[in-house]
Order: sequence, then structure tokens, then C-alpha cells
Amino acid sequence: MKRRDFLKMCGSSLLAGNWLVKDLWAKEPSVVAVSEGKDYAQITKSVIDALGGIKRFVKAGDIVVVKPNMGWDRKPEFAATTHPLVMRAIAEECLKAGAKRVKVFDNPCNDPRRSYENSGIPAALKGMDNVEVKQMEEERYKKTKLNGVVLKEWELYTEALSANVFISVPIAKHHSLTGLTLACKNIMGIMGGNRGYIHREIEDALADVNSAVKSHLIIIDATRILTNHGPTGGSLRDVKVLNKLIASTDMVAADAYATGLFGLKPAEIAITATAHKRGLGEIDLSKVKVVKA
Amino acid sequence: MKLTSSRISQLVFLAAFLVLFVTTDYRGQDDISVAVNSFFRANPLVLVSFLLATGTFTWVLLPGLLMFVFSIILGRFFCGWICPLGTILDLVTGKIRKTAPLAWLTGNFKYYLLGTLLFAALFRMNLVGLLDPIALLIRALTFFFYPLVGYAFRQGWVGLYGLLGDNRDYLAGGYGFLKNYLLPFRETFYPLAFLSLLLFTAILFLERYERRNWCKNLCPLGSLLGLLGHFSIFKRLPSRLCSDCGDCKEHCPTAFDSEILQKSNCIRCLDCYAKCRFKRVSFRPAMPKKPGHAFSPARRVILTSLASGFLLPRLFAFRLPSTQSSLLRPPGVSGDDDFLKKCVRCGECMKVCPRNALYPSSLQAGLYSLFTPMVIPRLGYCEYNCHLCGQVCPTGAIPNLPLEEKKKAIIGLAVFDKNHCLPYAKRLNCMVCEEHCPIPEKAIRFETVEETDYSGKKVVLKKPYIEEKLCTGCGICEYVCPVEEKAAVEVFAHTPRKR
Repeated sequence: MKRRDFLKMCGSSLLAGNWLVKDLWAKEPSVVAVSEGKDYAQITKSVIDALGGIKRFVKAGDIVVVKPNMGWDRKPEFAATTHPLVMRAIAEECLKAGAKRVKVFDNPCNDPRRSYENSGIPAALKGMDNVEVKQMEEERYKKTKLNGVVLKEWELYTEALSANVFISVPIAKHHSLTGLTLACKNIMGIMGGNRGYIHREIEDALADVNSAVKSHLIIIDATRILTNHGPTGGSLRDVKVLNKLIASTDMVAADAYATGLFGLKPAEIAITATAHKRGLGEIDLSKVKVVKA
Repeated sequence: MKLTSSRISQLVFLAAFLVLFVTTDYRGQDDISVAVNSFFRANPLVLVSFLLATGTFTWVLLPGLLMFVFSIILGRFFCGWICPLGTILDLVTGKIRKTAPLAWLTGNFKYYLLGTLLFAALFRMNLVGLLDPIALLIRALTFFFYPLVGYAFRQGWVGLYGLLGDNRDYLAGGYGFLKNYLLPFRETFYPLAFLSLLLFTAILFLERYERRNWCKNLCPLGSLLGLLGHFSIFKRLPSRLCSDCGDCKEHCPTAFDSEILQKSNCIRCLDCYAKCRFKRVSFRPAMPKKPGHAFSPARRVILTSLASGFLLPRLFAFRLPSTQSSLLRPPGVSGDDDFLKKCVRCGECMKVCPRNALYPSSLQAGLYSLFTPMVIPRLGYCEYNCHLCGQVCPTGAIPNLPLEEKKKAIIGLAVFDKNHCLPYAKRLNCMVCEEHCPIPEKAIRFETVEETDYSGKKVVLKKPYIEEKLCTGCGICEYVCPVEEKAAVEVFAHTPRKR
């Protein structure tokens, strides 16, 4: 690199924003961006911008996996699946940054066709060039070494592993076993096999997978949250509309912040606490920088 | 092969049949507007057996009533113009070398068969679906051919992945199209696939002896239509072979076994009309005459059928109590007796079920329930927001419930097996069943208990139990139970004790 190029780079990074430069030093605090509003496309864009814009994550020519929760045969209003408008706005951002291909998939608990269809996500992304919503295919799962605390290996989806960027877009909801289901648990959607097996030690199992597969950007959908009878829901009585989105590169911090929306403390959610202990991110919100977008 | 009007009609109906067969599936819509059940609703045999067995009429079978009336006017035209099985036989029969007709099959055998089935229905045991030609054909397609086609394509596609890896994506558009419009979503293998295939190939095999052997000599639907057609006001002239020609014996697929045309076997294909060198053949309105010798399902047939219709089904009546509790019927079915009277065993509910929860029962409820649908939750569960099976059922054996009612329809009741269920048996947390339970208020609930696990560590266990008032027995808990040896929660059918 020539000296002139180096200076140019330093200059442009300075222009890109003060905290972005700080982020280059590893010790700087995690940042959680929060946006609120009824225009879901707008708040999606602004929450990403608050983290430095999509170009910080997606480079021209990248293959991007945007992994929503479309695991249940429920319509969007029941708050069991990620909101389709949020998904569309994220896909648009990725394309703007020059993504070669945006892939959207999930391994649903209900019938895959019904879950995809009724999530409204395929319809919202229909007609966008270079965006695909495909059913997951058995042969694309690959036994992957995890060497984790409980999971030594597991079948993971190769398209998620080979992507340049993995964006995790869970919806914030209640879950009887784990208290809540947030970003740390969203990774289950790329797991194959007898997934119910991991419920017996779910905290460490999820930390094992999250340690092996990095989520580069987390956007938690709290446009509406499911406060009880999760993760399936099915009654509007359990749905609370918050019109919020939470974004971070630190999944533990993002989850910790989202936990507050339910009136709970982050440490009460064992998955989050374990993820923090395992070095996946910051659980203490006083050490996290919260940016309102 | 010359394209006569009847042949064109046959091909159109066969194509329609196959298209409807493929569209009898979940394709992104909660409602199916047309399905292959149309062929049953216009089926007089289904209508008659339904009336006899249940003693009631249902409007869904109105087309069958119309077909009944049309057959009295026009004769047995269904067999020559519409029946997809007949068309398949016509298409393959040219390739099959013929020996002599089987003597024991000719004569009144088919009337004994039809009579037995109808009297059995009258004695409250409806077995018509076993031999109804449309049901037979759909079962062969659903249980054998369609899964096989799906499996072949799928294996090819998986093989391409082995060869090309992610480069296979360049072909994904084409495969996606096939997958969306033609192939089954998942390749399910069915019990009784073998038996379904066997019945179908037996019918093809019969073509070795004569053309349309099944249609002429066995088919209960054909025999019934033949009885109706006998009263047809259209008479084929001349009514016998001409002494100077006799080619009709060659042209006619069904009705010229002897010199005289057998009206009840004439399928109105009009081949004789089209092929007559002398232009002698005509079909004209004429008052039917008194039954001749060719038409003789006389008193003996009726009395014998009455006896066999009463006695034979008792052979099918045995039921083993231990298998009854696993006999889970599709949602909305209220009682097994009523269900069996109406079910035509066509397999459409099993074809349409998006989660492949339904399978043909083999011996669970005795021979009587052969091919009737049952839920096997460990293989597939009833999807909460789906009500397709009731929509495609041609006779209403599975009632066509509005979605909100179907969600409450009872299939069975889930019961925990605490010897296997992890929180009870191994003091491990699990709750996969509770997580999946689709009832908005959750029919699986739990107690939170503090215990010491087997290593001496204090654990907080969530122990599930069933809220019986809410459980519908959809079976998703049994389906997703991660315990590998056997499901630790199982759905049981309500089996009333008589004593």
C-alpha cells in the first residue's frame, strides 16, 4: 500500500463516523442500535445506518444469507415469525451495497410450504432480482465439526456456512423452556437432524453453534413481540406491538437489550447468560453503547 | 389409432383426471377449488352405496345423481367416454397379445359381485371403494406411481448435487418448476403400495384374455351403469351382426360376444358407427323391450347376493382391541362406524395431506378398514391451520369443516409415557412437545419443580402434562418428541368400552 492510499483510507474512515474508528480497537464497547417507528422499511434502514450503514457489512459481490424466523405456520400479525417488510428492507439494503445474491431460508417446525407461505416473506421478496427464498434441501446439510461443550458435531446448512455475510433476523418472543427466543436461538434454523435433542442442554448447545457460525449482523424484530404461549402463539391477546428494531454485531448485547422489552433481566435468560460466559458478547447493558436511530 | 369423438373425449378426461390428481395438493392456498374428487362425486356407484349404507343423501353427490339419470338416457357412455381406467386399458390393450376369454369370468359373475357389494352396503358395511375403478386407479397413483416419480426425480436432483455441488443452482429454476407444479413435495412411502399396484396390474393382466376384460366382466361401476344403460332410450341398430359383414365383432370392445349386441355392455364408443363400411349403424331413440336373455341378473343373482352381502362382510368384521387405540381418523370424523360407511378408500386425503400424516390402514381395524385413512403421528401430524382433507373427501366421510371448527376437531388424546419422557425419566429438561403445541393456550402445560438430578446436582425441571380439555390429538407432540427409542408422548384414539 502506498503512503497516499494509506492516508486516504485513514481520512475516509474518520469521515465515516467517530465511533466506527473506535470500533477498530477491539476493547471498545459493543453498540446496540435501536429504531422505532411505524414505517418498518424506514426503521430497518435507519437501524442499519446507525451501525454504520450496510456497506460496513456487505461488500460488492458478496453472497448474503438473511436468516429470518419463518419457522411456524402463522400469519405475521401473530408475532411468531419475522415481519416481511423488515425482511424486504434488509434485502434491498444488501442489494444496494452490491450483494451478488441474497438468500433467505429457514428450517421450519411446521410444514415448510405453509410456514414460508404464511410468513408473508416469500411474497414480500417476490420479483426482487438476485433475492431467493428457497426451501432447504436435505442434501445441503453437512456434518460440521463444532468441538463444543455439548455438541461435538452437527448437521449444518452449507449455504449458511459458505455465505460471505450472515445476517440473523429473529423475532423477539416468549419461549417456555428458554424464557425468550432471540438471536442466539435463531441459529437453530440452519441446523438439521433431530434438533429437539439439544433442548436438554440448549444453552451450551446454542453457544457451540454460535461459536462456530458467526452472525455478522443481528437485527431483532420487535415490531411486535409475543409475550406468552410462545414460540407458536396464535392469539392476538399475546401480541404486543412495539414498532421497534434492535441491531448489533454483538448477539449477546442485542439479546440482552431485547430482554428488557419483556420486563425481564438479561441474566434471567440462561441462553444469553451462557453465551456471555462463553465469550460470545456482552450481557451487561451498562457496558454497552445504546444508539437511538 | 383413429381419433374418434369418443377417443378425444377419453383423452381429455384422462388428462383432466391426471391434472386434477396433481393439483390435489397444498399449493399455497388454504382452499382447493377443484380436485380429483370430482370423478367420485359424479360416480353413481359411490352414490348408490352411500345411500344404501347411510340411508341419507348428501348434496356433494348430486353430480352422481345426474350421471345416474344420464346413464339411463344415454346408456353406459361413462365407460367409453370418461372413465380414466377404461382409457388406460384402451391405450395399452393393443400391445397385449390375446388368448381366449376366461369362461368363468363371463356370465353373471359381475352381477354377483355388484350385488354382494350393494347388499353389504345395505347391511351397513360399505366395501365398494375396494373395487371402484376410480378409487383403484387413484390408489395405484397415490401410493405407488406418484411417490416413485417423486423419488426418481429427487434422487436425480440429489445425484446432480454430488456431481456439480453448488453449480447445480444454475438448474434450480427448471427443477423448481417441476417441484412446484408436478412433483410431490416430499416422497412418502405408503403401506399397501404393493397391494395397490397388484390390483392395478391385475386389471392390466386381464387384458391378456380379452379387450376391456375388467370393464366387461368385473367392474362394479361398469356393471351398475350397464344395468342403467339397459333402459337407455337409445338403441343401436342393427341389433345384431350383419350376415354379410360381421366386422362389428372386431371393432366392438365390449358388447359383441355373440351375434346379438349386449346392450348392457355397450359403452357407446361409436367405433362401430365410425367404422361401418356400409353406413348401416345408427343409434336411435326406441322404447326398451323386455329384458332379453343377455340381461339376466334375475332372482337367483339377487338372492345369492343378498345372502353373500349379508354373510361375506362378517369375514371382514374382526377387530383387535389393542390396535383400535392407534386407529386415529382424520380431523372431524366423529365415529368409526359412520366413517367406514362413507369412506370410498380413494386415498385423496392421503394425497393432499401436506404433512403426510395420513396413511392407508392395513389391518388396524380389521380387514374392513383396508385402505381407509389413519393418522400415524410419528410419521406426520395434522397441521393446525390446514383443512384440506375434508375439502377433497368426495363423500363427506371426512367432513368439510370450516377452518375454525377443524382446529377444534378431536382426532385423539395425547398421553405422556413417563418412563421415557426426559424430565420424568432422566431428570433432563426438554419441552419440545410444549414448544410445538399449536393450541394458542397450549394443550401441553408444565409444572416447574426443583429436584436433584442423578448426579446430585440441583435442577429446575419443567415437567409437561396434557390439558385434556384443549388437546385435539393433532399429534405434533408425538411427531417432534426427540426421544429416539419411542415417542414419550403418544396420541390415542377414543375407543368406547361396551362393558
